[in-house]
Amino acid sequence: MPLLELRHVSKSYPYRKGQLRVLEEVSLCVEEGDFVVLVGPSGSGKSTLLRIINGMVPPTSGQVLYRGNQLNGINLECAVVFQSFALMPWLTVKGNVELGLEARAIAPAERERRAGFYIDKVGLDGFEEAYPRELSGGMKQRVGLARALAVEPRILLMDEPFSALDALTAITLREELLDIWQAPDTPTHTIIMVTHMIEEAIELADRILVMTPAPGRLVRDLRVELARPRDRRTEAFNQLSDQVFSLIEERA
Amino acid sequence: MAPCGIEPFPDSEIARVVGLLELLEDRGGREDGYKIARDLNLKFADLLQVMKTGEVLSFIATPAGDVVLEPLGSRFLQSDVNQRKLIVREQLARHSLFAYLARLLRAQDERSLSREVVLEHLAMLLPEESPERQFRGVVNWGRFAELFGFNQDEERFYLDQDTAAAEGPKG
Repeated sequence: MPLLELRHVSKSYPYRKGQLRVLEEVSLCVEEGDFVVLVGPSGSGKSTLLRIINGMVPPTSGQVLYRGNQLNGINLECAVVFQSFALMPWLTVKGNVELGLEARAIAPAERERRAGFYIDKVGLDGFEEAYPRELSGGMKQRVGLARALAVEPRILLMDEPFSALDALTAITLREELLDIWQAPDTPTHTIIMVTHMIEEAIELADRILVMTPAPGRLVRDLRVELARPRDRRTEAFNQLSDQVFSLIEERA
Repeated sequence: MAPCGIEPFPDSEIARVVGLLELLEDRGGREDGYKIARDLNLKFADLLQVMKTGEVLSFIATPAGDVVLEPLGSRFLQSDVNQRKLIVREQLARHSLFAYLARLLRAQDERSLSREVVLEHLAMLLPEESPERQFRGVVNWGRFAELFGFNQDEERFYLDQDTAAAEGPKG
């Protein structure tokens, strides 16, 4: 049984006198341990799809199955990392990381232990008492990542997590994310990420799900067989990048 | 060099410096500065700042417009996060500004100073630099290396406990 399965998921919103179709007939499976990246231009519904997977948004039709059971409401075994970081400015780094644990009614001693462990994991040791405004974008996103990991989700959902960062910072955070994904001492081994950057998708993913807009459709499920660490300057990397690009171009 | 022998610290984000090291490693350890700026769509002035920081830490060298990964930079990349902190800590301890501030803090009973006082020291030592900016850099790198801490609520800049314990007797 797949960890996650979407069956014919469609989503539309009322718009003027009709319906705006955001997603149409999306079906996919995600297995434990997969690093899946949804790639597509804006308007392809990839962020909506992520919210449907998390249970924040219900599909108009179709089903979301988590470990074989239909999902109703928020999936507590998922955690989300947002592009905007979504940190509480009045809480310290530690306070922000503990927030998600408090919301899930985890006992204070365990909260403390986990916050410490994940703050260490993402390299934020020494920054526990800093406030978000004292931090750079890269550091803020580390807080976002530690907060999501601390709830020890089975699936980590990431919505354009590196898009707001400069190129050098993004390189560093992508490397760190791969390390965390492969770390034996954390329980989170399945990642679903949304990005509009094709190279980022190829660098990170086991599988790339290519989406096209108006309405959002899943047009290809590509397995990336390139050995890690992946070198952007190889011929194979370029070919794959061209392939994804033309899939998007054809229908745009 | 400033008259009192204290050098400013080029304030670049840690993650940017690491990103530059990763990129150099991917490109066989050496690359043209202008190519990096072009490929990453970075302003050359911004890249220069990152390069300066990498150089101060002895992670890279910059002979004739090239950027070269140094052995310490490679070692940093191969290290886990705690070893990385240790390497940065050793490098910062050698930097004149960090050494000065550590000495200054060790001389205080509380091993701490108010932000105001630290800014005054910075303004006096480095009249050509923005004290606020230097302070931000020192706090960021100091926190990463667990050399210094800063409590925003109390506006106190302090010596990290481990640093205080390890170096206390000498000070």
